[in-house]
Amino acid sequence: MDLDKDNANPTIINPSDLPCRRRECSVKKREDGSTGLFDNLTPTYNYLSDPFDGPDSSGDSDDDSVEDIDEQEIYDLISSISDPEHPLSLGSLAVVNLPDIHIIPPTSPHSSISTVVVEITPTITHCSLATVIGLGVRVRLEQALPPRFRVDVRVKKGTHSTDTAVNKQLGDKERVAAALENGTLMGVIRKMLATCE
Amino acid sequence: MSDIQQYLLDYDRNKKEASATAQQTATRLQNRELKLLALIEELGEYINSSDGAMRSKTMSYLAEVLSFVPQRVLSVQQRTCPNGPCETPISLRATGFGRGPWLNNVTGNLLCDFVLSRFDDGEGLGSCAKALIALEERGRWDDERATKIMETLVSETRPLRQYRLQSERYAVLQLVDTLMAKYRTALRDSHDTTPDFMSRFIAYFDGEKDPRNLMIVFSILKVPMTEWSIGADAQELFDAVFNYFPITFRPPPDDPYGITAQDLKDRLRECISSTADFAPYAFPALLDKLDSTSMNTKRDVLQAIVACATEYGPHTVSLYSITLWDALKFEVLNVQEEDLAQEALNGLATIAKTLSQGTSGPLNAYLRPITKECSEHLEDAPTKQSQASARILRKIAGVSPDVTNIVLANVLPNLFLLFQTAETIAKRRGLLEVLAQLIRADIDVYGDWRALGTAEEPIPTNALSQFQDQALEVLLNGLNSAPINEVSFRLVCLDGLIQLSKVRQLLNDKDIGRITQLLYSIVIHEESHGNDEVKEAATNGLVEIAHHKPQVVVDRAFPAFLAELPDKDEEEVRGYVPVLEAFAKLGGEEKVFPTVILRLKNKFSVAVKQESSSIYIVSLLSALLYALTQGSSRLQQNPDSSSYYEDIVIPLLSRTATSDASHPKAFDDELTLDLVGRICNLITRSQTLEKQNRTSAELYTLFSGKPQSEVPPYKVNAPDEGKTMIVSTHLLASFRQETTLPSELQDLVSSLLEYSQQPGLSSPVRSASLRQFSLLFNKFIPTPNLKLHVDALLNTPVELFAPERLDPPRIRIIFAVLKGILLRNSPLLSTLYQSLLSFLSHPQYGITVAHGFTTLLQPDDLLTKENHCQISGLHKQKSFALLVPNITQSIREASPESKPNYLIALSGVLKWMPFEVVVDEIERLVPLLLQSLDLKGEDVIKEAAVGTLMSILQERPKRIEEHAGSLISRLLENSVPLSNKHLSVSSAVNANTITPPRVRAAALKCLMLVPEKMRQEILLPYRRQVVMKLLPTLDDKKRVVRSTAVRCRRQWLDVDEADDEE
Amino acid sequence: MTSPLEAPSYTIQPLATLSPPSSSRTWQSAPHPSLPLVATACSDRNVRVYSLTSFTLVHTVTGGHKRSVRTVSWKPGVKGQSVLATGSFDASAGIWRRDERGLEDDFTAQKQRGDDDEEEDDDYQFSCILDGHDSEIKSLSWSPSGQYLATCSRDKSVWIWEELEDDNFETVAVLQEHDQDVKCVAWHPEEDILASASYDETVRLYKEDADDWVQIAQLNGHDETVWWVEFEGSGMSTKDFRAQRENLSQERAQHLELLERSGPRLATCSDDRTIRIWRRKPKENRQYASQNTGIPSIIRSFNIDEDWFQEAILPQRHDRVIYSISWSRKTGLIVSAGSDGKIILYKERWESQVPNGVKADGDANAPEDAEESQRTPLTEWIVVAELFSAHGVFEVNHVCWAKRNDKGRRHEDEEIIVSTGDDGEVKVWTLDELKT
Repeated sequence: MDLDKDNANPTIINPSDLPCRRRECSVKKREDGSTGLFDNLTPTYNYLSDPFDGPDSSGDSDDDSVEDIDEQEIYDLISSISDPEHPLSLGSLAVVNLPDIHIIPPTSPHSSISTVVVEITPTITHCSLATVIGLGVRVRLEQALPPRFRVDVRVKKGTHSTDTAVNKQLGDKERVAAALENGTLMGVIRKMLATCE
Repeated sequence: MSDIQQYLLDYDRNKKEASATAQQTATRLQNRELKLLALIEELGEYINSSDGAMRSKTMSYLAEVLSFVPQRVLSVQQRTCPNGPCETPISLRATGFGRGPWLNNVTGNLLCDFVLSRFDDGEGLGSCAKALIALEERGRWDDERATKIMETLVSETRPLRQYRLQSERYAVLQLVDTLMAKYRTALRDSHDTTPDFMSRFIAYFDGEKDPRNLMIVFSILKVPMTEWSIGADAQELFDAVFNYFPITFRPPPDDPYGITAQDLKDRLRECISSTADFAPYAFPALLDKLDSTSMNTKRDVLQAIVACATEYGPHTVSLYSITLWDALKFEVLNVQEEDLAQEALNGLATIAKTLSQGTSGPLNAYLRPITKECSEHLEDAPTKQSQASARILRKIAGVSPDVTNIVLANVLPNLFLLFQTAETIAKRRGLLEVLAQLIRADIDVYGDWRALGTAEEPIPTNALSQFQDQALEVLLNGLNSAPINEVSFRLVCLDGLIQLSKVRQLLNDKDIGRITQLLYSIVIHEESHGNDEVKEAATNGLVEIAHHKPQVVVDRAFPAFLAELPDKDEEEVRGYVPVLEAFAKLGGEEKVFPTVILRLKNKFSVAVKQESSSIYIVSLLSALLYALTQGSSRLQQNPDSSSYYEDIVIPLLSRTATSDASHPKAFDDELTLDLVGRICNLITRSQTLEKQNRTSAELYTLFSGKPQSEVPPYKVNAPDEGKTMIVSTHLLASFRQETTLPSELQDLVSSLLEYSQQPGLSSPVRSASLRQFSLLFNKFIPTPNLKLHVDALLNTPVELFAPERLDPPRIRIIFAVLKGILLRNSPLLSTLYQSLLSFLSHPQYGITVAHGFTTLLQPDDLLTKENHCQISGLHKQKSFALLVPNITQSIREASPESKPNYLIALSGVLKWMPFEVVVDEIERLVPLLLQSLDLKGEDVIKEAAVGTLMSILQERPKRIEEHAGSLISRLLENSVPLSNKHLSVSSAVNANTITPPRVRAAALKCLMLVPEKMRQEILLPYRRQVVMKLLPTLDDKKRVVRSTAVRCRRQWLDVDEADDEE
Repeated sequence: MTSPLEAPSYTIQPLATLSPPSSSRTWQSAPHPSLPLVATACSDRNVRVYSLTSFTLVHTVTGGHKRSVRTVSWKPGVKGQSVLATGSFDASAGIWRRDERGLEDDFTAQKQRGDDDEEEDDDYQFSCILDGHDSEIKSLSWSPSGQYLATCSRDKSVWIWEELEDDNFETVAVLQEHDQDVKCVAWHPEEDILASASYDETVRLYKEDADDWVQIAQLNGHDETVWWVEFEGSGMSTKDFRAQRENLSQERAQHLELLERSGPRLATCSDDRTIRIWRRKPKENRQYASQNTGIPSIIRSFNIDEDWFQEAILPQRHDRVIYSISWSRKTGLIVSAGSDGKIILYKERWESQVPNGVKADGDANAPEDAEESQRTPLTEWIVVAELFSAHGVFEVNHVCWAKRNDKGRRHEDEEIIVSTGDDGEVKVWTLDELKT
């Protein structure tokens, strides 16, 4: 029964080895190396003091600090998509990888358009589902990113027998749009995206 | 008109009437007004009518009459009829009705014959059956009769399906069921004696389709399956039930008999698994169906297999075990549906379980291919299939000691070999994961140091012992020597080691010591990496080991930890913090709790003596508090906690109060004092009344020897001394209600009144003094005196509630007092709340009061049951009832200026309301909540309002549907920093008009809930615009908001897909 | 190629955004051949018809298609009624009619009424559906005479339909030369020549030969999907830079003469970010070839093939795929737009520099000799206007020229640019010439 699958037995990456934001931002950790275990021992008295001291200034002190959309965020958006033939995430199957995601800033000061380039790595070179996976990634990003981003999803060079053909399809706005109006295909995509957080 | 005529007349018109007539006949029989003979004779004409319908109605009349005659009558009669059943047939006349008992077995039998004789008549079979059941209930038959009836049934009315009416068949099936139930032996004999009986019997039920009837058929057939020797007929019998597999029936919504598909499935499964004789047919048939594409069919098959593997017994199962393995493994190796995989695993485990009840041969034969194939999959770990193999091995190994031993013996050697030759660390990890799983299974069976496993009695022969050294080395080595950034690999090693240390009677203390040593050296010495998952796991590991081997941890780890804690810290050296954290965590394990506390306490006093830095002292106190909190449950009952009082509380308090050299600088810091207070609170809480009284006497002086009048709150204008109030508050909180306070309550209250209104107070001290009001009015004023004390506040000179004297300090006191009172649900509330609400329209302080409402029901960490407070279960309901309707009412009349105050107060109250309290008021509340979303700058309020709206959406979406439009638009408004509305209002953008991230996120969360909860037809009109309007939120500058926006937008995008397609 | 650095001589100014906009992606817009209307194909399965006088919605053509409407085209040369063809991702094309008699008087009435309450009768009536394609229709176009309707689809085929009488369409050709998606079809303004552009990176031309449509040319050059193809207007030589005929150098005169004989040129744009101009190689006295009859068709088909060559590549200003170009019938200016949200305006002119660096102004000082005259091109295309973020951050799917018709119109022939974007908006732009 596993014959109808392109790759019945893919290699799986352990979740705690996948790139994630909190892992990289260890910078934030206190210099004294504490994990903040004791922080909540003494709740600050918001009780009875705050509400009366004038209109509340909501506690977002760093409110004006801007957190830009970065590669990690893109990765988080698409790594949780599940593979159409395994109940596994594209991240854990290493179909999408952080180093293969690039954000290209606007080419001209007059333009605010950035480009996201995602290179996907199919589990095996003849994977017939490469297009579907690519489509899933593109749909996910078009739904989740602000319109100032152009999304280019490609199969990584040399990782797929027909990568150029697949890439051309994924790049064709009209075909993608039409695909999204195709109920059955959309069903598959929606199932893939169902696991996204 | 005779009863029968009446009955026939009513039968079609009015069944009730008809039954009544039958009832009436029965009564007449019973009172001997009517002779049975007469009745029968009366029937004659109709029962022989040429009209079939007429005949069947007549029979139903008879059946009903019989069923209405109370059984009691018969039982009485039977006693009066000593000579028992009379065998010789006698004509009706001879028995002479009326003189003797109205019905005895003779006549009973004759009636039976009479009814039986009607079987050949195509009409009224159901009634015949009913009649017979009625008769049987009124006089047990002899075996001969029972078999005769069965014979007649099977020969005269076979197959039953020829009778169209399911109700008719139902009656017959009930009759058969009765016979099977009460006359088993007799019927089994007729099976043993009459050769073709069984096949006729089986054929009799052939083609039954009605679910209710099927339920009976299954249970009828189960009797021969389980009790008769069916040898030759096995297949026929099996097919008879398996024809119905899988059950696809879906009960009609208004099914009168409430029979579910599950009922049928269960009965059918019982039949299939009922006898090992079925095995030759069952397993092939089931496995064949396992290839089905329908998940439901597969589910049924797997469940049936589990049942069979359980019931058929070791011998039979051994014949099919390999075949089953070959089939079942696919469900696990290529998961289609997780629950199917689970079921398949159950199957595999069940087989092992059943086999391990038999001889070792078959068990080995079954396990060999499994362990072999799984081992093969391990060779290319970590893959989908290696993980699946791990699941299989873990599941099976957990079945029984024998199985565990075999699996371990078959798998581990190869596993270690692979480990040595593995070229990637990923592969090593994959292999060790399996090892850890197997150890878990081993624990399931053999148990850990504290509890036995599934193998109830301790068993010496744990195969793991042959591998323990190898395992230990591999794991220790892996954890110790792997590069620090190989997080997952090291985590797996760590997990393996913990499991290993837990296995009952396996490792000796020396080895466990080695593990402990490695763990604490990671916690203490290893440099920090990433977010220190390994360090954290190591700490938790120590706790777990401490749970099983406390002494080892105390002997090995504790010294190491304490060595890291200096007596006097040097500047800027903070290495001790993580150590302290880990050590405090260990306190969570009761076995080592006392030692942890003791060591920390000692370290603390030394540190103070050595005049360590405040930072260090605070850390030590924090550690102490953390450990105590974790073991607080233990503090309660444990008698020796009194020593804590002497050793910890008293010294702390005196240190707090003293102003001489022994007074640490750290103790001038409010945070430190809060910690001190909480530590004392935890310990004092559970002290005896006497001890508490002793403490209470020093509540404010804190054993300083100063006269009470010299310390706050009695002494005003001493802000610096005021800090001790923080500790006092925690002590006050810890006292029982009976504890005697250091001074007259009235006197204390007035001191506090004056004290807490001082302008110079720091907010922690002020808050502390205010909380003492709450505590006093909640705990220490007995109900009868409450009014008195409250009045004291209301009347001159205080006049706390006098509008003209209103100001922030007084408002604070008002809320503090109310908070104490509302928790005990005092009747005084109604009046107090009244005046409070009236303040909302106060020109100057209305807004301040409004903001106070959110504090009323806000959970408070001092006002708790543990602190002996009076917490009425219904206080929230009460406050709701007193406040909310009133507010909603006032909003209508409120002036534009004061209206916001009411809205703020409202969402403040609702913020802490459990939904079931709010639910009845929803209709009135929703519009107001929506309005409060328009308030500018009231972000906390908005957040609260959104929260309430969300819970309404969650619980009662229907009730909010009519507001969908305004809800959606307002949420969109608040999902962006600057809504168009705001812009239009004030071109000059000031902080107030910027919606902060927290509110934006909340709004989006709520908006995300809308499509989940509301009906599509309501959403569709908004779908496109929402999806469009959400675009800017995807570009929010805050990550949290963006991610919520993304999820929210997806919910909306999915909305109309359904109708998109046609 | 490098574009001549030249200060832009126009600015593109926003005039209006047609309202209300669609709440989802709009694909393409088509100005009405005679009335001040523009029809827009929307992904919400509707076609919106806006007034170019009031810039408001006057009709919503709805209910015909099950998927996105991708393309619309007005039938030219019909009197008294408007005929609209719509092509959709649902693989079908629809024909819609609306009676326009007495329009002048009640048209103004309509635009106030807006789209909400239309009486049945003055709404667009669905008159017939053209089925045949196996997958999404990507583009459709009426021939100038209105006799033919061409459609193309992802099924790699181009269909030509002929309307025998009202609502009775006959398939006269199914052309399957392309081996991929066909993205766009366009008709030659003077002859019945059809051009099609494709995902297979080629452009192909077709012509009827002995009542059988055949491919007469294949244009290779683009190395990505060709998204749009459009012929030059008829008789442009009297309207663009060529109109100025006084004292032209001989070679330029020759060049014009060649252009004349080539007839209208062809412009294409592509995913490769280039816009290319193609020209037909004039056949020697081809008029004769077609006139002196009697030659059996079989022989004629020998020379039915035409030779089209790439004449120019326009300056490359787009960063991403170019979806659409349009060639002004009035001024010969070309406008382009695409994924990068820019709208670019190009103008053709005599090449300003001759190799020796001497300014080659009008007066023919020295007659060039033969090989000089072979030097091509004598003309060059320059960018005369560049507009960023025409539709904010969204992609622009289509641009075209239309006659200006609001009160602000500055002269009879003034043109506007109509752009159609992913944001669901259709925007109208005017051109202001920069005085220097």
